[in-house]
Amino acid sequence: MGTFILRRGVQAVLVLLVATLVIFLATFALGDPFASTGEKVVPPQVQAINRAKFGLDKPLPIQYLTYLGNLVHLDFGIDFDQRRQVSSMLAETLPNTIRLALVAILIDVLIGVVAGVIAAVKRYSFWDVLVTVLSTLAIGIPTFVIGIVLVGFVSGSWIFPVVPRSFTVQVPWYQEVLLPAFTLAIIDAAFIARLMRGSMLEVLRSDYIRTARAKGLSERTVIGKHAMRNSMIPVVTYVGISLGILLGGAIITETIFQYNGIGYLLARAIQNSNVPVIIAVVVVSVLIFVLLSLVVDILYAFLDPRIRLD
Amino acid sequence: MTHPSRTGDVPAVTGIPVEAALPTAGSQTATTTGPPRHPPGQFKDIWRRYRRNKLAMVGLLIVAILVVTAIIGPYVTPYDAFDQNLLDTTAPPSPQHLLGTDVLGRDMFSALVYGVRLAMIVALSTVALSLVLGVTLGAIAGFHGKASDTAIMRTTDIFLAFPLLVGAIVVVRAAGPGVWPVIVALALFSWATSARLMRGQALALRESEYVEAARSIGAGNRRIIVRHILPNAIAPVFVYAFTSIGVVVVALASLSYLGIGVPPNVPEWGRLISQSVQFLRVPGKTHLWLSPAVAICVTTLAFALVADGLRDALDPKLRGAG
Repeated sequence: MGTFILRRGVQAVLVLLVATLVIFLATFALGDPFASTGEKVVPPQVQAINRAKFGLDKPLPIQYLTYLGNLVHLDFGIDFDQRRQVSSMLAETLPNTIRLALVAILIDVLIGVVAGVIAAVKRYSFWDVLVTVLSTLAIGIPTFVIGIVLVGFVSGSWIFPVVPRSFTVQVPWYQEVLLPAFTLAIIDAAFIARLMRGSMLEVLRSDYIRTARAKGLSERTVIGKHAMRNSMIPVVTYVGISLGILLGGAIITETIFQYNGIGYLLARAIQNSNVPVIIAVVVVSVLIFVLLSLVVDILYAFLDPRIRLD
Repeated sequence: MTHPSRTGDVPAVTGIPVEAALPTAGSQTATTTGPPRHPPGQFKDIWRRYRRNKLAMVGLLIVAILVVTAIIGPYVTPYDAFDQNLLDTTAPPSPQHLLGTDVLGRDMFSALVYGVRLAMIVALSTVALSLVLGVTLGAIAGFHGKASDTAIMRTTDIFLAFPLLVGAIVVVRAAGPGVWPVIVALALFSWATSARLMRGQALALRESEYVEAARSIGAGNRRIIVRHILPNAIAPVFVYAFTSIGVVVVALASLSYLGIGVPPNVPEWGRLISQSVQFLRVPGKTHLWLSPAVAICVTTLAFALVADGLRDALDPKLRGAG
């Protein structure tokens, strides 16, 4: 196990290096942030000073290595727009995104696993049909549309803050997190319910479940211990990937609700080609994803010992 | 026991392994499928089971309508979807404009019909591209293991490490606006999931009895992958791919919502919504953002229904149990 984690750790660092390189190269195609645009004419001297200030006058490999060196000290540079430390912008928005992701995952795993197990155990019953129809609807109606409809009809009523929001008005975190979390959770809950139902049905047909029943174990033990644990593998993978994506910033949902997380930060950075912020947000989401991927793999092996680690 | 190759005159990719035609050892839910018999033509069989699902048939009907609309729609709509009329913006539905006009005075119905075409082209191309990539690489990784597994899985790690939209945004911004950059960007960041699914399946199936049996009678790796692993593993991947058509339709709309991807003057669904954002909470102007939203919903829902029907029709393990 130890060597496995060590090896995956080294792999994770490599993934991170390649990913940062990719994002670093790709963002350079976004154009020169200090060039004259439209009516805004920037004198060449000012352009040169700006480039020197942000280190853009150096060759690309030097820039990349400098960036990596600073990254080790969690220094993401200074943003082009407000000339603030990018790390402080991240420190401001990342907790919000983590909160949103965790609340959303909590909602969707709870709904998804319960609904999936019920649907599989009581196959062809009213509940199964209900879960199937609801999950079909939930998967069919995109998060994007749910978000828009919730902003159009629900935001501003009861405890939910009005969108567009004013960030000078402080709102308790649970008030602003609920609508976007619910928006994000719906589709994942539906997918988890389906995955759970499908793998549960498959597991319930297997020999070891028959054996468990033949031994005279109670239905509760058979379902709760034998069947559920073995059906969780696809769910664990799904939740791992989903959490990774959510922690990387639910860019559309955060933008629709103007939720002050890294997704909305990224959306704004892309609008005005704020390269340091773009790179920082993507690097952070990649980092989070790589760590989660490692955790998922370990859990995967724990849940299904047949899968070899080495 | 008949070796699969004896009945192997049908394409393996239909997802119905010959093993499934044999009686399943009486489990609780599955009723016996009767004595061994020759399948009555794989596609016919799938279609027979698909047809039984009413919702899936409704989905298929809508998909058919969407596809026909995508092909001939823009030639039969009353207005040009690009024609702006700044003197008649945000008009409510009327006999002249069935669904009213958008914020630029374009006929909403014609704009939505154009949107169907765009969504279909992007979704089908993207999914086809990512499916080919994902299935091939996933099968190789799962079956061969070792170095190829490591190489392919680390590559998926890199691609999966970028959330779909974030990755697509970066690539589209780098490649410039247009339909093809969107297709390539979305495929590039969506093949990895089907590769992982495929690999997981192949990994589990590699240890299964029938693969062992096939190996024991001298079947080569290539044959085992194509004849035994693929048919048994493809169903969830294929269903995933079908479901992801909806994801791509939404991703296209999301990109336009953020103001990148297809050029801003193109009446794309997400663009139609984003230009109406200031009317979100305005009474009487609901049709501005609700009609493109409904168009997205109907499309994704229809494909989700078809994916469902396909899943049930393709899944050999559920055979005879439905």
